[in-house]
Amino acid sequence: MSDPRVTGELRYSQDIELEGMLHARILRSPHPHARISRVDASAVPEDVVVLVPHDVRDLGYYGCQIKDQTVLAQEKVRYAGDPVAAVAATTPERAEEALDLIEVDYEELPAVFDAAEAAADGPLVHEEIKLSENDAAYFGLRPQQGTNVCHRFRIRHGDIESGFGEADVVVEETYFTAGAQHAPMEPHAALARWEGDGLEVWTGSQTPFNTRMDLAGIFGIPEEKVRIVCPPMGGSFGAKTFVRLEAIAACLARKAERPTKIVLDRDEEWLTLNRHPATLKVKLGAKRDGTLVAKRVECWANTGAYADCGPGVAQKMGFASPGPYRIPNVWVDSHAVYTNLPPNGAYRGYGQMQCTWASERTIDLLAEKLEMDPLELRLKNILKDGDRYCTGEIMHDVHFAELLQRAADAVRWNENRHGKGLCVMLKGMQTPSRASIAVEASDNGNYTVLCATAEMGQGARKAIRLMAAELLGVEVEKVGFPDPDTDAVPYDTRTTSSRSTHMMGRALEKAVEDLRKNGRRGYGEVVDEGGLDPDTGQGVASSHWHQGAAAAEVEVDKETGRFSVKRLHAPVYAGRVINRPGAELQNEGSMIMGVGTALFESVNFSEGQVSNANLSDYCVPAAGDMPEVLTHELVEGERAEVHGLGETALPPVPPAIGNALHSLGINITGLPITAESVLDAIDRRDEERTRSTLPSQEEPATEGVAGKNGARRTYAVAFGISLGALVVGLLLRSRRIAAAKRLVPRRLAR
Amino acid sequence: MKVPLVVNGERVAVEARPDEMLLGVLRREFGLLSVRETCGIGVCGACTVLVDGEPVSACLLLTPLAAGRDITTVESLGGDHPVQRAFVEAEAFQCGYCTPGMILTAKRLLEEMPEPSEEEIKTYLGGNLCRCGCYVKIIEAVKLAAAESYPLREVSGT
Ligand code: FES
Ligand code: FES
Repeated sequence: MSDPRVTGELRYSQDIELEGMLHARILRSPHPHARISRVDASAVPEDVVVLVPHDVRDLGYYGCQIKDQTVLAQEKVRYAGDPVAAVAATTPERAEEALDLIEVDYEELPAVFDAAEAAADGPLVHEEIKLSENDAAYFGLRPQQGTNVCHRFRIRHGDIESGFGEADVVVEETYFTAGAQHAPMEPHAALARWEGDGLEVWTGSQTPFNTRMDLAGIFGIPEEKVRIVCPPMGGSFGAKTFVRLEAIAACLARKAERPTKIVLDRDEEWLTLNRHPATLKVKLGAKRDGTLVAKRVECWANTGAYADCGPGVAQKMGFASPGPYRIPNVWVDSHAVYTNLPPNGAYRGYGQMQCTWASERTIDLLAEKLEMDPLELRLKNILKDGDRYCTGEIMHDVHFAELLQRAADAVRWNENRHGKGLCVMLKGMQTPSRASIAVEASDNGNYTVLCATAEMGQGARKAIRLMAAELLGVEVEKVGFPDPDTDAVPYDTRTTSSRSTHMMGRALEKAVEDLRKNGRRGYGEVVDEGGLDPDTGQGVASSHWHQGAAAAEVEVDKETGRFSVKRLHAPVYAGRVINRPGAELQNEGSMIMGVGTALFESVNFSEGQVSNANLSDYCVPAAGDMPEVLTHELVEGERAEVHGLGETALPPVPPAIGNALHSLGINITGLPITAESVLDAIDRRDEERTRSTLPSQEEPATEGVAGKNGARRTYAVAFGISLGALVVGLLLRSRRIAAAKRLVPRRLAR
Repeated sequence: MKVPLVVNGERVAVEARPDEMLLGVLRREFGLLSVRETCGIGVCGACTVLVDGEPVSACLLLTPLAAGRDITTVESLGGDHPVQRAFVEAEAFQCGYCTPGMILTAKRLLEEMPEPSEEEIKTYLGGNLCRCGCYVKIIEAVKLAAAESYPLREVSGT
């Protein structure tokens, strides 16, 4: 039996159809912030179902952590792309045509796009900030009413003033990371149907139970009246979480009295959810011998027009920003900030990449100032078993030093450090959380696993089936795993933060044990307690830590600023590996996504409108964008727990690359690292060198690994910049050329 | 208008608008759901089909221009094609959304270059994106298929 993925037989949410189904399209605001003064849909033909703000005004607010969303914008729109109306027709084309017939008048309002600016002052995106009752609001939320800060998280550990007082050396830097688009290959798709007063939704979603909760709240019906079924997703990476299109599809289906499906157009993906752009200010102090004494971090996570899970992202960004080090005095303020950008939410790592970038770049700044080997500085301060993290937690099953050393060895760090960079990271897992699972035996010796873990390509289904087969002592083919269906499966927090294999694996052990006792059906549940005090950051940040490291080796063309990643290696702590190829795929996929983040992925805006909402202007890595050598390691422990691996290898990649550039004196603070920013950094470095030393000698044109001899830099800077842009542009477009060659099939063109 | 198409060896005249791309027609009229849209602009290769053996982005091919041409989708390979076997063996997929397009492009690559180098594979697959980032194993799969002494030039319709 072949795999349905190679025969093309796998069906995703976008493929599901029901008898008499309508196709929906969404009308979106062109303005980032405006009052809606008139909506007129009278020109829409009668056989097309229209939904306007008035139709949904009595429905409940929703939002997984802050209740700030309505099914369609009421009174005002808060971002360019905010849904204002929707239509459903017999074909997607008819629906599209009908959109043009709806007239909307707006009065524009002042808008704000930068998070730090919006936090300080600036027009209010939401007048009032109401907390959500959804269980995704699992931590103490600290909205700052009357401001754009929808959550503020703090760590207060030790005494920051006296900490810096003890420091011999202090470094300080501000970092910026751009927004990114998940760009799952399958767009968001949802199909809704009403049966009496019960709602059924088929949707590619990582969060069936959270979605059910919010939909029940919107329609004011009991949760049991809402059924969510989650077919496999064609990728998600955090994009398909919480309510996205489901509410609009459900409202249209109710009005039309027919099943209604929405499949987003590609450009709408950028208007639905992106990764938080973030600004981080880091100050780090150490003794002359490299002992870290104090760290102060301020984070601003730009959550866009609606909070979504931005508060959670800001909190994780905050609590992980100290990094895997012993630091006696830590002070963190992290903010989730409303702006008039499209909503930003969960994205593979959930705030981790942003804080790891800032934190690990700062370590290298400090190493430089201390004139110390960055590896040695890290190892001197690294958390070990039994150490206390700044949240008060005692660390256990800790492998940071080993991972870091493995990363260093892979690039032969001890031979020379030229063009090489390192990074090590600690990452939390959703805490608190609950997972439950049922296993049913049937007469023919087969078993069915019933659980809410959603499959988005990460291989969770296979891993859980393998674990079940092992526990049950049967072939994996005997274990079935139907699509998660909230009417059939027991509760689970959600399929996020690389928690499923770990949490469900433990619940499964209990379920199988229970099955042995009861014969037909076994049930197992695990609850991980914990959580942090949002005002002090003390408590249990994570019941289980993900640990990863990376090393990169780069070569820079100093004439153009163009650089290439020659080698990338990422060791991660895997604990016990269930599905080896699956685990490898997660690591490789994370690293490649990390390369995209490091080198070119950036959601760009012009006056609040996304200016690169297509896969030609927004590049995602193609095969040719991979580093020359990309390797990784799954570090296993004897009798260790299963560790989730869905995200661990992504966040360490950009800092490793940034630090590799730093080893050449190229100091980069922003992501992605463009050729222009490298060229600017080279200029700054050279100016400094000229100021502080004698005229430089003959230098090679290429720096880094190869260190080839070349001509001196003679081009004018302006020429260099344009050439750099050109070369990078050409390279990034290489795959588009390959694609373009196919526009007109060669044989047809003849 | 009625357009005469040859899809997976079968001759059928289907109803299509003159401005309609082949992608939508294959999905709607033939139920060939392995042909998938991601970018809609010829960049990602998720909609790849073989037209007279050549990989083509079906999202950009006007249906009337495909009239009379031999159109192949992954459905016709059956599941036991050497490239499909190699993809399964190498586990060269995660969500599987890009996989049909990858397989068809790889099939053609091996017809053109029976023993491609890693660089040649990366370049040839440049128009097929995998957001799950399975490239390491996709390249492995193509090498595996090549090593299985892939039969030369089995282009249909020539
Ligand atoms: S959908 Fe046709 S190339 Fe992307
Ligand atoms: S396997 Fe998911 S896009 Fe390639």
